[in-house]
Amino acid sequence: MTRGVEPPPVTGWVYDIQRFSIHDGPGIRTTVFLKGCPLRCAWCHNPESQDCGVEIAMNPGLCIGCGRCLAACPRQCQAMEAGRRLFRREGCLRCGACAASCPVRALEVIGKDRTVESVLQEVLQDKPFYETSGGGMTLSGGEPMAQFAFTLALARAAKEAGLHVCLETCGFAAWEQYEQMLEVTDVFLYDYKESDPVRHREFTGVPPDAILDNLRRLDERGAALVLRCPLVPGYNARDGHLRAIADLANGLRHVQEVNLMPYHPLGEAKCDRLGKESRLRESRFPDESEVSRWLETVAAQTRVPVKRI
Amino acid sequence: MPDKKTARLSLATHELADHYLSGRIGRAIQPVAFTPAPEFLAQAPTPNRHYAEAVRLIAAQAPLRILPGERLVGAATLKEAMQHRMPATPFGSLSHSTLGFEKAMQVGYRGIRAEIEARMRRGGLDEEGEDLLRAMRVCLEAAAVWQARYVAAVEQLVSDSAGEDKRHYAGVLAALRRVPENPPETFREAVQALWLLWDFQRLCGNWSGLGRIDKMLGPFLRRDLEAGLISIDEARELLAHFWIKGCEWITAQDRGSGDAQFYQNIILAGVDEAGVPVLNEVTGLVLDVVEELHISDFPIAVRIAADTPEWLLHRIATLQRLGGGIVAVYNDDRIIPSLVRFGYPLEEARNYANDGCWEILIPGKTRFGYQPFDALLLLQETLGVSAAEASPRQNKAECTEWIARPRGAGTLECFADFEALYADFKSRLAREVNRLLDERPFDKAPCPLFSLLVDGCVERGRSYLDGGPCYTVRSPHAGGLPDVANSLLVIRRLVYEEKSLTLSRLAEVLSSDWEGQELLRRRIQADFDFYGNDNAEADALLQRVFNDFTDLVGATRERHGVLRPAGISTFGREGSGFLPHRTATASGRKKGAILAPNFSPSPGTDQRGPTAVIKSHCSVDFSKLPCGTALDLKILPASVRGETGLQALAGLMRAFVRLGGIFMQIDVVDGALLRAAQEHPELYPNLSVRVSGWSARFATLARDWQDMVIARTEQTL
Ligand code: SF4
Ligand code: SF4
Repeated sequence: MTRGVEPPPVTGWVYDIQRFSIHDGPGIRTTVFLKGCPLRCAWCHNPESQDCGVEIAMNPGLCIGCGRCLAACPRQCQAMEAGRRLFRREGCLRCGACAASCPVRALEVIGKDRTVESVLQEVLQDKPFYETSGGGMTLSGGEPMAQFAFTLALARAAKEAGLHVCLETCGFAAWEQYEQMLEVTDVFLYDYKESDPVRHREFTGVPPDAILDNLRRLDERGAALVLRCPLVPGYNARDGHLRAIADLANGLRHVQEVNLMPYHPLGEAKCDRLGKESRLRESRFPDESEVSRWLETVAAQTRVPVKRI
Repeated sequence: MPDKKTARLSLATHELADHYLSGRIGRAIQPVAFTPAPEFLAQAPTPNRHYAEAVRLIAAQAPLRILPGERLVGAATLKEAMQHRMPATPFGSLSHSTLGFEKAMQVGYRGIRAEIEARMRRGGLDEEGEDLLRAMRVCLEAAAVWQARYVAAVEQLVSDSAGEDKRHYAGVLAALRRVPENPPETFREAVQALWLLWDFQRLCGNWSGLGRIDKMLGPFLRRDLEAGLISIDEARELLAHFWIKGCEWITAQDRGSGDAQFYQNIILAGVDEAGVPVLNEVTGLVLDVVEELHISDFPIAVRIAADTPEWLLHRIATLQRLGGGIVAVYNDDRIIPSLVRFGYPLEEARNYANDGCWEILIPGKTRFGYQPFDALLLLQETLGVSAAEASPRQNKAECTEWIARPRGAGTLECFADFEALYADFKSRLAREVNRLLDERPFDKAPCPLFSLLVDGCVERGRSYLDGGPCYTVRSPHAGGLPDVANSLLVIRRLVYEEKSLTLSRLAEVLSSDWEGQELLRRRIQADFDFYGNDNAEADALLQRVFNDFTDLVGATRERHGVLRPAGISTFGREGSGFLPHRTATASGRKKGAILAPNFSPSPGTDQRGPTAVIKSHCSVDFSKLPCGTALDLKILPASVRGETGLQALAGLMRAFVRLGGIFMQIDVVDGALLRAAQEHPELYPNLSVRVSGWSARFATLARDWQDMVIARTEQTL
């Protein structure tokens, strides 16, 4: 490297930073949501996280029909027809001019290219709370590993700043990358979505082999693990899968906790706002008795603590 | 029905609680049915003696109430007292202080009588002093009359009953015979003594805070436990009865500002005068009782510090999660040093308590009063805008006039820059503060009964209201500071930086309540990071306003023999007294919007969750605010679920201490629940919410108050 020439700062696509997150690892945490995901889960809660780069979300409920975005858009994507606001996404440049002109945040730019430093600075604002509660930073998404260079750099910077770091991951990335994450990650919040390989492929778009393989290797290396299991009625919320969750936890040595995450149909509303199709066959909140039964079923078959998230 | 997880109290105690909470006891209370005889009025030579003889009459005539199974006796059975009036006379009654129950427990009425007599023998009192002390002596005689009536009634019950009942009444009688005339010797006597000391004041219309109940009762319990005189379960039952009897004024039918608001505050833990932690068995038992009975009529605050044990924070968090803002916290690490800095001796500072809301004072030694004013009105004056209505309380001496003074046309243009505008605001702030600092609160109204339990009154021969107490405090309390800072933030950016509109144009917009300017208004609301978001720019403006206010007040520690510690509060005035006089604000709020309560963010402006709110709030130097302030934090149940949720609440409290906050009330509430309670009050008779230091049964609030609470809850989701 030539002296005096700084490498460009590592940046990543971030779509949200949420303070006082308390169900993404121990204590009070700040969760950094990164964009981009190699999976396409049918039930995705955060469709805005699937693609890397900027997206424009529209919330027609907030729109007051002022027409400013129509004037602002260079491509005539924003339109008003018969009193209805339309967003024709085809020619959209994702330039964000419409969102900038909107007085009520009915249009929003989702995703921002940010430096490690700027994200870390924001995360550090709650340091006193991490210290008093045993919390820290959680990287989530999307799939943080989809922006591996950024994720690694951010986790490393956070560790250097003395923070506890959790990585929430779907497990679908190269082992060499997980290996590098080992030294900068305190707890892996590891998704376990579906035990049946055929269904796994159907629901998520990828086969489970690499995911399970990475999980075993992390366990062998002594990584602290929390299994995060979304339970979606009509998909994976069946006894066989619940048993498989317990079996998986029992078969590994370093699983500290199993988290059951009852599905909520929030993702659908978000799909609408983004102009995406929701692929869900069925969508409802599982009722409380169902959730308690899931909890009991899994808890009965493993000594690892089972928690509802 | 007792919840299995927390059921530690007996079924009988639960039944007693249900009886009181139903409001039946409170509704049965009648107005006073006796008056002093005319010839007596002729005889009573002074207002003090008149007052004292009325106390004697009340003691001799007020209905007694002893319910089966109650472990404590004594009841405040006159309707006027519930209405905060002195029964049987036209005299006023007192509240907003915490009396010297601790000393009264140490010496008994007997000791206070001896002190009065010694003072009279020593001589040197003027006529007023002699008169006051004589009246105080009559009040003590009256207390003895009241006690003797209960003794006689219980003796009768003992002789009329048999078996278990007889043993029960005999137990009641044994304690009742000795206290509070004599200092208590056992825990049971101590609880009975404290009840009678407090409730006799209430019977006569005076509402005092309770103060440091674990500090007062804990040593008795420890001794009894060690001697094997009582079990921890029996002690819990006794305390539960104290709590239950504290609901004697619940009516659950009355509407208004809530029936749970009799300023009967209790403060737990902290350190004693020597700096030793108070935390004892009674601390835990009080939390047990509150958790199990969910009685919020005694608003509880716990004094915490960096060294507070984890289990106590965990207990507090558990109670906070029950909702209703039942338990608040004070930060000793901040408050004690700032009281010392203000000038209190260290031992006094360590013994601080509250006044019935959350203002900080030295219990048993302080005449407390505060002077609310609305800083937002001063900014309105600067901008030359005012709400049309005149203040209904214009003539109430304690309050500022609450009307912005008009300013001449065209004068706004002379503010060449933001500093010029700010200087104008600051000069108005100085004017208001000086007006308040000049007030002399002394008052000749008779109050010998209250004065009995306040140090300094006997020695000086002056009453509670007339300079008798060791400390007479008059605290200027600013309201609306967060909205002033938010408005200044907008003005600075739009008028002086972006120059997108002139100040006079803005004033017009505010006067017309944003008419035709909805887009601008929405844009302001969407684009600005206001106070409560941990945003450096917004917080810096707040700090500036805060510093100017506290410096203006801080320059005068004492004037006219009165201490002047600064405080910041609204105490619900943001939804009542202040409201009609406020115009629209530059921060994008319309006229009539409910703005920041106390020193919390304005509803709806805090977008980044509770940690950001705490950071913003604690960004000012609270050592400059010896009278205190409150942060009301609303959290939804979902975000503090499970064991992690408890840890998170404990972490919030610890961070609040570390960041130097003063008083924080965490309220775990759900807007949907509150709305359901509004529609079907009959289903939620005991749902309580806490507003600025006091708590109220939601069902007893007037509809507009309910709306305000709901609005606040939902906007901060
Ligand atoms: S992002 Fe740009 S191109 Fe797309 S709709 Fe908005 S203004 Fe038009
Ligand atoms: S600018 Fe916003 S509010 Fe106005 S029409 Fe467009 S989306 Fe609606």
